[in-house]
Amino acid sequence: MTVELQHPMKADATPEEIARGRFTSGIRSLILNDLAADMRAAYDRRAAPAFAKEHGHEPETSREAHQALRGDPAFNIYSAMRVQAQKMVWASVADSVEREADRLSDEAKKASDAPGSLILDPDLDVPKNVHAIDVHLMPGSYTRGADSLEAGAVYDRGLAVFSMGLMGANLDDIGLSMSQYIKQRFPDFAPERILDTGCTIGHNTLPWKQAYPEAEVIAIDAAPGPLAYGSARAKMQGQEVHFQQMCADDLGFEDKSFDVVWSSMFLHELSKKQRAKAFEEAYRVLKPGGLIIHMELPPNEQMGAFDGFYLDWDSYYNNEPYYKGYRDEVPADLCKNAGFAADTFFDFVVPSIGIYGEDAVAEAAKGDRAEGVGQETTGRLAEGVMWYGYGAFKK
Amino acid sequence: MSDDKLRPEDASPSLYDDQGNARFFADPAMDRFVAVVMNLAQEVWVQEERLLALEAEKTGKSADPEAKVKEFIDRVFAPIREA
Repeated sequence: MTVELQHPMKADATPEEIARGRFTSGIRSLILNDLAADMRAAYDRRAAPAFAKEHGHEPETSREAHQALRGDPAFNIYSAMRVQAQKMVWASVADSVEREADRLSDEAKKASDAPGSLILDPDLDVPKNVHAIDVHLMPGSYTRGADSLEAGAVYDRGLAVFSMGLMGANLDDIGLSMSQYIKQRFPDFAPERILDTGCTIGHNTLPWKQAYPEAEVIAIDAAPGPLAYGSARAKMQGQEVHFQQMCADDLGFEDKSFDVVWSSMFLHELSKKQRAKAFEEAYRVLKPGGLIIHMELPPNEQMGAFDGFYLDWDSYYNNEPYYKGYRDEVPADLCKNAGFAADTFFDFVVPSIGIYGEDAVAEAAKGDRAEGVGQETTGRLAEGVMWYGYGAFKK
Repeated sequence: MSDDKLRPEDASPSLYDDQGNARFFADPAMDRFVAVVMNLAQEVWVQEERLLALEAEKTGKSADPEAKVKEFIDRVFAPIREA
């Protein structure tokens, strides 16, 4: 199903556009649930044994699972259909965004006096990985339409189709699940200043303001258009968030000035060098006792060959060049190398709050925290999704 | 906007065609035909949904489009299951 956005910038779509979106969500559901299961069965029955016959052992890594699957009919049909479905996601919203450009501006103006702010930096050198490729096959990437509302609207409306309802009504399930998990697990932790890095349109920023209403929440991204859209979107929803155009690996904030540095589905879009720098910057701006907390894809080291490659697929075929490199890194090392003490590191799996409910999140916060990292449902946008996260405290 | 230089380190050029698009089938035309079949199914669904709306207007009974689209997709794509 396509989610109906919860603010005035939602599409005034034609019946044809609604039908196209519905079909796209439906076909993605077939691919990501049914065809994914078919591919797994073909891997066990055919691809892995053939690989073992040739190499003398079963595939042991994501890379070897990829080798085993290349050319297999189930892999071919899954992959070709997934690529086309991804293109259909963005195509299904492009017309309405273009047609409604003026109305979007008018709606944003109406909300402009609400609390919150937007600071763009026209001199910022937007990194190549943000503008030079169509990230996840999104035409024009995050810089489409420069600092207009276009890229943000395409992203917001596209995610409503892409997510098949699994990211919540306000596309904020990740932020809601994670912030509630942290609140439950660390009930005495009361952050006063929270930073979201690589926030895109701030859809997973807003839950932190909801979880900690007294905190000042600042959200940064390198791309100006999604920030402008995100600022208007937050204001329309009555959430005071301060958006600033800035790169996570070069933060324009003072040392020891935040209690939380957060990101969601962001680190895999950075090069290895940018990522290491972003961790160092997070460490620098955190106060002692502050928390770095990231929601991301689970790492390859905690998954089997097939499940690892299932996630790495995007790196090769969905214009996510750094995805596999990120997943090959070890979260505990990323934190440790930036200065966080090893004994403050923790990783965990949170059941989606929208699917499993608040009690399940509270239960997870009390239970065996890393349980389920290697499960099929962890990190996969499919039925029963659970989110992987990790963090560390600055001493 | 496409830049074929930004790829994972171990991505073999053979994974892509000469324009940088992902390729899967031995015959590259198949990759394009898959996309055509999906577009065609989408356009048939658009017409189906319009018909459902007209029928609902006429009869006063509306069908659940989410259940209908699932049935439609399952039926059309049944031959590619369990490949």
